[in-house]
Amino acid sequence: MSASPVLSVKDYSLAYGTSAGTFQALQEVSLAVHSGEVLGLVGESGSGKTSLAHAIMRGLPPNVSLENGSILLGQEDLTGFSQTKMTAIRGRRLGMVFQDPSTSLNPTMTLGTQISEVLIRHRGLERETAIRESIAMLERVGLKTPDAMMHRYPHEVSGGEKQRVVIAAAFACQPEVLLFDEPTTALDVITARQILDLFRDLQNETGVASLYISHDLALVSTIADRVAVIHRGKIVEEDPAEQIFSAPQDAYTKRLISAVPRPDRRLVGDETTAPSGTLLKGRDLTVRYGRPGLLDFLSKDRNKRVIGAQSVSFDLAPAEILGIVGESGSGKSTIAKALVGLNPFTGAVDFDGKSLTGRRDMDAAYRRAVQIIFQHPDSSLNPRQTVGTIIARPLRRYGLDREAPVAETVAALLRDVQLPEDYARRYPHQLSGGEKQRVAIARAFASKPQIVICDEITSSLDVSVQASIIQLLLDLRERHGTAYLFITHDLNLVRQIAHRIVVMYRGDVVETASVAALARQPEHAYTKALLDAVPVPVG
Amino acid sequence: MPETIRRLIRTPQGAIGSVIVIIVLLAAIFGPLVAPDNPETFNYGNRFEGPSAQFLFGTDQFGRDLFSRILYGAQSTVLMAIFATFIGTGIGAVIGTGSAYLGGRFDELVMRLVDAVMAIPNLLFALLIVTALGASGVNALVAIGIAFAPGMARIARSVALTVREQDYVKAAIARGESAGYIIMREMLPNVIAPIVVEMTIRVAFAIMLLATLSFLGLGAQPPSSEWGLMVSEARSYMFRNAWMMIWPGVCIALVAIGFNLLGDGLRDALNPKT
Repeated sequence: MSASPVLSVKDYSLAYGTSAGTFQALQEVSLAVHSGEVLGLVGESGSGKTSLAHAIMRGLPPNVSLENGSILLGQEDLTGFSQTKMTAIRGRRLGMVFQDPSTSLNPTMTLGTQISEVLIRHRGLERETAIRESIAMLERVGLKTPDAMMHRYPHEVSGGEKQRVVIAAAFACQPEVLLFDEPTTALDVITARQILDLFRDLQNETGVASLYISHDLALVSTIADRVAVIHRGKIVEEDPAEQIFSAPQDAYTKRLISAVPRPDRRLVGDETTAPSGTLLKGRDLTVRYGRPGLLDFLSKDRNKRVIGAQSVSFDLAPAEILGIVGESGSGKSTIAKALVGLNPFTGAVDFDGKSLTGRRDMDAAYRRAVQIIFQHPDSSLNPRQTVGTIIARPLRRYGLDREAPVAETVAALLRDVQLPEDYARRYPHQLSGGEKQRVAIARAFASKPQIVICDEITSSLDVSVQASIIQLLLDLRERHGTAYLFITHDLNLVRQIAHRIVVMYRGDVVETASVAALARQPEHAYTKALLDAVPVPVG
Repeated sequence: MPETIRRLIRTPQGAIGSVIVIIVLLAAIFGPLVAPDNPETFNYGNRFEGPSAQFLFGTDQFGRDLFSRILYGAQSTVLMAIFATFIGTGIGAVIGTGSAYLGGRFDELVMRLVDAVMAIPNLLFALLIVTALGASGVNALVAIGIAFAPGMARIARSVALTVREQDYVKAAIARGESAGYIIMREMLPNVIAPIVVEMTIRVAFAIMLLATLSFLGLGAQPPSSEWGLMVSEARSYMFRNAWMMIWPGVCIALVAIGFNLLGDGLRDALNPKT
């Protein structure tokens, strides 16, 4: 490690002027990244980690009201640089890889043009040399047909391939410092793992100084040399990666670490075996998307509609927590939506002694007993209705308002989800993300359901909020004996709470096993790959 | 809501638009109370006069006080236009939202019908309806309402399509709610903001359309002091007293500009991103 850092941020403070007053985004942040080193920066949403990235890249929004301290690249202070001066530095000396590869590539240009242009512009190469270099670089990032890749447009390749191209472009200019802003968050678990492996290889090879920003403490601890934890604009702790999990110093870090899901720490007590009996059974559920064309009967391939899920069978016992895992597009949400009558399906759902073979068979009793909670609480609560109205609706809908006064039931439900009773008068936009999800949970429990389907309900929430929501769900289950169908892409999380896990891949169920069996000996190759790809907290 | 109003007044077009519209609405509501003269009283000694202390805006061919006529006319012009827009918006919003919610072939059918109706220019379509129903102020109002509905339906549908994809609508479907409940209670309140903006701008068109119909003799009938009718009557006396034509013309223009500015201002104020 060289003596002086390549990038150092010293006592840097930043504030934004908003209509509600000034907002202090960063407070006296100090960081240093040496050559050949990876510094991980971990923080929850709103902690200021992205603001710091923008500050280093000098891409700050126009409403910055105060800026203090210095950002040194080598010996030069970037805070005083003009935009024209920065243009020469960005890409050339300071590279950046963003979260979503589909928005960081221009959809109207071929991948070849985009990567070779970077080389022509920043390294002053001739066109032919640049193209040769680009092909070599694409090959280096593990793309199988680099020549063909050069002529493709972003929409013709997968998300993982796009991110590889972005990384290739970032490394191609041999910058001194690279910033990674959640580069794997938008990708599936297995693809993310491959990108991380690639990142580690290139990092070792080039010896660039990297600042790796992420919300995922487990992931960062596996790839970074040192980890800095940022909370409300302040760096609260900086440690070597091996120590952050085993010996955290700061109270906030401790809280954060205890919230990170760890498969070895079960949250459902000693329950390892699933409860017996069958509450709901799905038999050969198949969901096709799109509607048949008017003249389809004329053509041969009349069944060429997109298949969302194929012949999915499972059963759910009373009070069981059944996890469904899979990457995006695996059909896990498709099945959830079919079960609540949002998707048309073929096959059958057995519930309460009846066999439902289509959406028409779902009567009020079934709908009352099977409730769903969605991923985004912003979108699942009507912004024009008060929390009270939202929670009261299922009561009126299923005629439960005759049993007790609605206002009292709503208050009781709010207490159940640990929200103050006067929240009934508020509108969703006055609540935080976690509070909104609690309201959605209260709405689902209003009809006293037997089954609650949780469709990725914590994936848009911060880790610490996620932990409290999960605890709430487990408490409610304890009290009401509700069964959960818990859909998630987070294998660590589901292994903490589920009794059995269904693994889905491209619309098929590849494996159903108890949590213990899955950890011991996964049967299917895909399950094994998935388990291997998940970063497990170090220490 | 006060927040929206504050944002509205901060933009110049919103502030100017609000002031003009408030003045016009006050004139329309309280005009008859403050009018100095009866709009239908003839003053034969003072025909074709220019503005004076006695007749603020001058007089017409029968010596009627133009200022009073304008004030009385505000009611039949502006309030009728607003009412016509309300009818058009109401019908259009329900059709558009319903079409977006039901989707599939029904949506296809409704939208192609809307396309067909929209192919006919608004004025022509309104003329057609008035001709069929007979010439009167109320029929003109109905005609404008119907003529506006397809355009509103299309705007409502485009907004409702994004609302339909929201999880609260899916949650309502999963609860087993009826189509009527979902359209009226879950979707419409969230479609309303862009529709209000469009509606304000359309009031300006409605005023002009209504004035045009009256000008052509198919809307309000004499002795009404509807502004379009006033312009129409003034045509024959243009060179004897130009004020007869200028005042109602200026008023129509002012109201149209006012509502247009208010619509622009509202669009910015209701969009949280600006």
